[in-house]
Amino acid sequence: MAGPLLSIRDLKVEFATRNGPVTALDGISLDLMPGETLGVVGESGCGKSITALAAMGLIPDPPGRVAGGSILFDGEDITHADAARLRSLRGTEISMIFQEPMTSLNPVFTAGDQIAEAIMLHQKAGRAEAGRMAVELLRTVGIPEPERRARSYPHELSGGMRQRVMIAMAISCRPRVLIADEPTTALDVTVQAQIFDLMRDIQQEFGVAIMLISHDMGAIAEMADQVAVMYAGRVVETGSADAILDDPLHPYTRALIGCIPVLGKAAGLEGRMPPLAEIPGIVPPLHLLGRGCAFADRCPLAFDRCRAERPVLEGRPHRVACFAAEMEAA
Amino acid sequence: MGSIAYIARRLVYGVILLIGVLVLNFFLIHAAPGDPAETIAGAMGGATAEMMADIRAAYGLDKPLLTQLAIYLGRVAHGDFGMSYYFDQPVISLIAARVGPTVLLVLAAQLIAITLGVAMGVLAARKPQGLMSGFVAVVSTIGYAAPVFWTGILLIILFASIIPIFPVSGMTGARFSGGSAAYVVEVLYHLALPAFTLAIIFLAQYSRLSRASMIDVLGADYVRTARAKGLGEGKVVFKHALRNAVLPIITVAGIQFGNLISGALLVESVFNWPGMGRLAFDSVLRRDYPMLLGILFFAALMVVVANLLTDLSYRIADPRIRTGGR
Repeated sequence: MAGPLLSIRDLKVEFATRNGPVTALDGISLDLMPGETLGVVGESGCGKSITALAAMGLIPDPPGRVAGGSILFDGEDITHADAARLRSLRGTEISMIFQEPMTSLNPVFTAGDQIAEAIMLHQKAGRAEAGRMAVELLRTVGIPEPERRARSYPHELSGGMRQRVMIAMAISCRPRVLIADEPTTALDVTVQAQIFDLMRDIQQEFGVAIMLISHDMGAIAEMADQVAVMYAGRVVETGSADAILDDPLHPYTRALIGCIPVLGKAAGLEGRMPPLAEIPGIVPPLHLLGRGCAFADRCPLAFDRCRAERPVLEGRPHRVACFAAEMEAA
Repeated sequence: MGSIAYIARRLVYGVILLIGVLVLNFFLIHAAPGDPAETIAGAMGGATAEMMADIRAAYGLDKPLLTQLAIYLGRVAHGDFGMSYYFDQPVISLIAARVGPTVLLVLAAQLIAITLGVAMGVLAARKPQGLMSGFVAVVSTIGYAAPVFWTGILLIILFASIIPIFPVSGMTGARFSGGSAAYVVEVLYHLALPAFTLAIIFLAQYSRLSRASMIDVLGADYVRTARAKGLGEGKVVFKHALRNAVLPIITVAGIQFGNLISGALLVESVFNWPGMGRLAFDSVLRRDYPMLLGILFFAALMVVVANLLTDLSYRIADPRIRTGGR
């Protein structure tokens, strides 16, 4: 089997703040295999989006900076690649779609022009040819009347269509990695399902590897082959999607899975919705992290050791960073 | 709403506004103390009571005010703005001879202010804590605080005696003779200082505004999208960001046209620029009411036209306005 296409090794990202540097990513490691989908899951503020931006070389610097570790694309270390090399990777090898299709498209250019721009840049196509290719891409991502929609401005499109335009733009130069940062969070539930279907189709057709970032364990369960659960700038559990969903080891993962809403019938409560689950508390501010496990204060299983010492990822291939899980296994 | 219907509606509003300006100015001027007949008589070197009555009758000054207004509006509708008391020539031809230089001065100043202001703002926005940003803040504060007549006089001193590379008075040299191409160069050469003087105060505003607007836009999601596409910084900043950042500049530029025209009045006096400003100034002193009414009307007309053009360029620049979307 080939090695990982995108490999993040022990990556540390810091942000300068008024209170001194804050560690947003504290030594995370992730592997994205060719043609697979890696789900990165966690609550807001756990470092998912920073991970994605780091992979694109788009961490805003200043105030952010990569303080350690490495990012390998197809074996090439791109952690400190120069701007020109990063630009040639972006769009052609690694593409990204963002959470807010409403604001991620430039309001003063047409959808077609924004797609054609990437094609003209990376494939040295002329304007007319790039325009034709943009229309074809719009057809590929399932936009009706692509000729007309190519001439539409973003505000003339619905949220779902805008995200389709973003996807068309992202796949326009046949990248090998697609990073999707909460691609459906801002969309209606019915549209979410359509976008996931589209992403699956595109993966089948183009063989692109997808890093899907989401706070929604349900979405991850539907899409991912591999899963990494992040909490407060660290990976706390990682493994195959089946292993993690069927046999979650970390109490945080269990809590996230517990938050997937279950409909009445499936829950065995005919005609009645069970109450929606929640995880008490919030992700602690990163500059207030103590020595222990960052989740300890919210964890039902926490004991003294959890507050004194930080657990590291253990096990293989299903890895977890939790003392309670270790004791359970023992 | 289509662009044609929009322009038509704006034109109707413009005409109503101009009629309002005419009526209001007419009453304002007649509310001012002083008798124009005396001014005219004074210009003639004194007059008897009989001659005064003749003057009043000749200029229609003996009729009731409302009748005078009706007559005036009727004439204006036919393009007749009456005769200047002082020059004894048609107001319209006096204005026609001077409107060109004023429009030239105002447009040149606006162009300098917008181009330089936006360029400074963009440079400053790239590094909000950088040296250029501080420089823009200082220059714009000074530019904004300094009155144009003072800036103008300082520039005259600088270029008349210290480094005499620009002419400081008039629109052409006193002994100028040459072909039309040479004339254009000569006028632009003379235009440099007055246009720059008038531009400074607005330059200050545009640079601050575009700095703020650009900082805002550079943090927008679509700028990140443009970077994620692999575009270079030049395209990201000057295509994707700037196009959005200039939208507020267009709005303010439209609002500032009126101020530019009133600023031009002072600058024309300082640099002896043969435009409407000098004429307006002199007409106030001479109580040359028809002249003054005509000038005020044309100033209002220029503002109305400028605002219409501003709105049209805004519609071109921002597709969301064009189609009435968000």
